[in-house]
Amino acid sequence: MNLWALPQLALLAAVALAVVLLFLLKPSPRRLVVASTLVWRRVLRSRDRTPDRLRWWISLLLAAAIALAMALALTRPEPDAFGGAAARVVLVLDNSATLATLTSDGKMRWEHAQERARDIVRAGAAGSRYLVADTQRTIASPRFEEPEAALETLDRLRVVPGGEPVFPGVLRADGADARAVFVTDGVAAVPVPQGVEILSVFQAADNVGITAFDVRAVPRDARRHQAFVEVLNASLGAKRVELQVAGAGHAPIVRVLDIPGGAVASETLDVSAFESGPLQASVGSQYDAFAADDVAYAYLPTSKVVRVGLVTAGDSFLERSLRLLPRTQVRIVPARRMNARSGIDVWVFDRYAPARLPGVPALLFRPPPADWLPALEGDLGATAVAAWVRGHPVTEGLSLRDVFVEHALAIRAGTQTQVLATDASRRPLILASASGPRWVEVAFSLGDSNLPLQPGLPVFLSNVVDWMTGEPLALKSGPAQVRLPVTGAKVVDLQGHGVATREMLGATFAELERPGLYTAIARDRRVRVAVNVADPSVTAINASRLPPQQAVPGLQPRPWPITPWLALLLVAALLVVLEWWTYNRRLTV
Amino acid sequence: MANPGALLDESFLHKLEVLSLVMRRPVYGQLKGAHRSRRVGSGMVFTDFRPYSAGDDIRNIDWSAYLRMDRLILKLFEEEADLPVYLFVDASRSMDFGTPGKFDCARKLAAALCYVALLSHDRVNLVSFADAAVQALPARRGKSQAPQAFRFLESIRPGGQTGLHSALRRFFSLPRTRGLVLLISDFLDPDGIEPGFALLRRLRHETAVIHVISPEEREPRLPEEVVLVDAEDGVASELDLTPSLLAAYREAFQRNEHDIEAYCRKYGWAYLQALTEVPLEHLTLKLLRQQGLLR
Repeated sequence: MNLWALPQLALLAAVALAVVLLFLLKPSPRRLVVASTLVWRRVLRSRDRTPDRLRWWISLLLAAAIALAMALALTRPEPDAFGGAAARVVLVLDNSATLATLTSDGKMRWEHAQERARDIVRAGAAGSRYLVADTQRTIASPRFEEPEAALETLDRLRVVPGGEPVFPGVLRADGADARAVFVTDGVAAVPVPQGVEILSVFQAADNVGITAFDVRAVPRDARRHQAFVEVLNASLGAKRVELQVAGAGHAPIVRVLDIPGGAVASETLDVSAFESGPLQASVGSQYDAFAADDVAYAYLPTSKVVRVGLVTAGDSFLERSLRLLPRTQVRIVPARRMNARSGIDVWVFDRYAPARLPGVPALLFRPPPADWLPALEGDLGATAVAAWVRGHPVTEGLSLRDVFVEHALAIRAGTQTQVLATDASRRPLILASASGPRWVEVAFSLGDSNLPLQPGLPVFLSNVVDWMTGEPLALKSGPAQVRLPVTGAKVVDLQGHGVATREMLGATFAELERPGLYTAIARDRRVRVAVNVADPSVTAINASRLPPQQAVPGLQPRPWPITPWLALLLVAALLVVLEWWTYNRRLTV
Repeated sequence: MANPGALLDESFLHKLEVLSLVMRRPVYGQLKGAHRSRRVGSGMVFTDFRPYSAGDDIRNIDWSAYLRMDRLILKLFEEEADLPVYLFVDASRSMDFGTPGKFDCARKLAAALCYVALLSHDRVNLVSFADAAVQALPARRGKSQAPQAFRFLESIRPGGQTGLHSALRRFFSLPRTRGLVLLISDFLDPDGIEPGFALLRRLRHETAVIHVISPEEREPRLPEEVVLVDAEDGVASELDLTPSLLAAYREAFQRNEHDIEAYCRKYGWAYLQALTEVPLEHLTLKLLRQQGLLR
């Protein structure tokens, strides 16, 4: 608001007039006739008294100054004298992961970025407006704000470890008159529009980080697992790095690596000695400025071999596919000896079904009628898989597109079963039941379909075995909002602390912003998620396109540390104190 | 018996009958009275001897001395004379204030003193003064004159400014026998007391000063902001009454009292502060006796 605008001047004039009128309306002192004022006059002559008229004027001036200061404060004046001409400034802060890098003064690059942004706000005119946005788009709808509000918005912003940083599209919508400043360390490849001032908070620092951490079964021995660790030395010089992989049931594995600056070292470690569960890889080096990539997590699956009993009249595709599954030991069992056979973890029945529900989970291909299976309604002719459930562990990561079937059973799905795949007429082709020992029924045999020729067969078999033996593979993700293929899940970290989640589109979205191993606990299953930075572009904190941080050009400190209206209120308060003091000293009337 | 009127009640007058005015020096009265005078003659108190000379009263010859010394020696006696009393009552407008009123107090005091003087056969001159105006009751003597004196006092109405010097100068511009001047006033004289008092000193009157003070003058109770208007001259004084200003006033008022008293003490005059809240009997029968003005 301009101080010298006509309405403001009118208001001030009215206030001044009101004060003068009030003074003129002030009742005159009471007149009292006394015997003699001789002694009073003697006293008054001897005292140094301010002339009454002058006292009246001082009093009036003080009252008018107080009223005018308060009236001015109410109008929220923002004259140019309080910090230059008002302007519209767009402040975009890069809050990608590398901004969490420590600098030589112990602060993060992010704190420097916030300070620079605050400096710009504080140095601006009181009437300036600021739009604060970030490259991680944590501010849903940026808008121009007053300086105080902009400072609060800046305080609320924080570094977001994951996600793809982008320059927010705030410039086009808000006109060309706005000055745009981008505060960044220049590491993240963010395309910046033309005309935007770039303010660097980059400062070179040492960093050694894990860029890959994975646990795999040894190809020739499914009971053994190896961990693959890749370490990047993003420092300018060589580093001695201590790599440690720790898990339950065994002493940590420690390796000392000498890695030249900018080089990568990788290690493959046998982690079979650890018990099934979380594995943590960590690197330690001197003067490491970026902590987020110093640890990585993985889940070590159980080494137990799954014994699969196959009852079949002969299906080479099925037998071979089962044998190729890791940790799987397949035994061909004749149907007549099925009941006598023990030590089987999963049964696979090909065109066969026992009379009673077996004691362990079972996968059935085109089974004949049985009491414990859904009723049959005859045969289907040539058909194809038209739809399948994507959220079920059995069909996770599985594509059944182009699966054609020559002959299949027409199954009537029961209430205890879940249909996982149907043909175009919505007749079930794959069903699953989780009540009692789990079982999966496929309405057709492999020989009656082209499924053996599809890449989905080993995935399907692996999913079935994992679902039945309760050993799902851990998901992998960077720090971000992660979509979990379960509904109604509670997500906890390794310490059992809950993580914020929300349900959307039949999945659970969890805010997994810190590296760690998380477990989503749903009603009938658990999903593990290993969240690691594991990104060479993040670990390379010195890969900036910008020079080291520099002063903002043309940035002058604001001459007034407080806003004008607050200053005016303070002046009014001081004048009130002065008026009180002068009144008590009888300097004013 | 005098008519006490509205001024003094009868019982109080009875108490006054045992009192008389005290003069420290011999008086210059013309008539027989009860006070020592400088003249020698046919009194009762022997003073001296002197040789007889022709024309002396032979009744005063000391015959026993003649037998012893064969010379005529005359006995001399101190003659007792009356006392000229000049009783001045301030009737300025400033006296018409206070609760109880200053003028009422002054008038009653004057009546009491007048009554005592008349009983002693002193010649009493009653004078009221304000501005330069003087209203006087010619000299009266004897108890029978008390009613007239009281009526005169009752007839006085306060008005005008205090003008002590001009009133005294005007009154004593006529030849007056040296005597006792009783001044009853609040002494709030714009010209000050010194000119009037100096005149009395020049005329060598024995003087007693009765300073009438009301409690409102000593401890004024005024609003914080007030315009005080002088009852005598109408001058307005605007006051912002602060504690310090009030303290300064009290100090100035006390200094004024002290100055008047100091002046009186310096020249051997009796001085009495007549606070209007003090009962008249206490003032007359006790305080005036303590000051040596009555006995």
